[in-house]
Amino acid sequence: MRAHAILPAMTGDQRRHFEDIQVGEEYESPGRTVTEADIVIFAGLSGDYNVLHTDAEFMKSSIFGERIAHGLLGLSIQSGLLTRGMRPYATIAFLGLRWKFKGPIKIGDTIRVRAKVAGKKETGKPDRGIVTLFRQVLNQRGEVVQEGETDVMVARRP
Amino acid sequence: MTAADLCYFEDLVVGEMHQTPAITVTQAHVTQFVGLTGDWPDQGGGDDAVVPGLLPLCISSGLGFRVPGPPLAVLAFMGFEWRFLEPVRIGDTILSRSTTLTKRAMREGGVVVEGRDVYNQRGEVTQSGRLTLLVAKRPAASA
Repeated sequence: MRAHAILPAMTGDQRRHFEDIQVGEEYESPGRTVTEADIVIFAGLSGDYNVLHTDAEFMKSSIFGERIAHGLLGLSIQSGLLTRGMRPYATIAFLGLRWKFKGPIKIGDTIRVRAKVAGKKETGKPDRGIVTLFRQVLNQRGEVVQEGETDVMVARRP
Repeated sequence: MTAADLCYFEDLVVGEMHQTPAITVTQAHVTQFVGLTGDWPDQGGGDDAVVPGLLPLCISSGLGFRVPGPPLAVLAFMGFEWRFLEPVRIGDTILSRSTTLTKRAMREGGVVVEGRDVYNQRGEVTQSGRLTLLVAKRPAASA
């Protein structure tokens, strides 16, 4: 584990506030191999049993040739992955996102996240602001399989 | 699988709304979601009962499967925009309402924009957005 992931716990609140974050900052997550088990668990948790994700025989004749991960599973995994590639923000709320699914994530693919601070915006309240992150999910061949922007409300320093 | 088992592009009616059954979001959902994704809830100003924002979105997709009638013949989920309006807390009961907003035929299938709102037990819209789907056309043999 990297030192910066351990130190904050020992030295109190090390979350980064709105004024600490610079437009253009970049983050990169570790990789994670998406497994059949991930897809099965996600189908059970979400209730999304679409044949795209659950019927290996049906999918043999599809354009993908095999089962693919739920798009929202990839989105959810990248969200967790990126928290392992950056110091946390002093997040007040996740406001929204705009997202594109550009290619399939197949069983055994290893994905990672590249992100960049795309913008910062003041709000009506002086104690907070909105940070927009541009994120790309890449597979082991460097192909972008998902990308989009997420908006979070981040506190200023007290 | 036969054609009759699926709802195709031609079957979708613009403006038609479907409401899903409801589901109570539990600690078990949160524990599974956090374990699966590593996405710890960090919203809600330290309120531990607030579930990760993406969880109700994911559950709303599964709820769509429980609407009576054949499931939509989705070829691909192309993208979406989504807003988190109100926190969902453990114990809240959510359902979603979906409306076909637009449909556009392509050579292979058609592009459908679906509006979706996720409600809680008080009738408040907690999350809302627009999803873009590529939906299969009815196979010629079964038309």
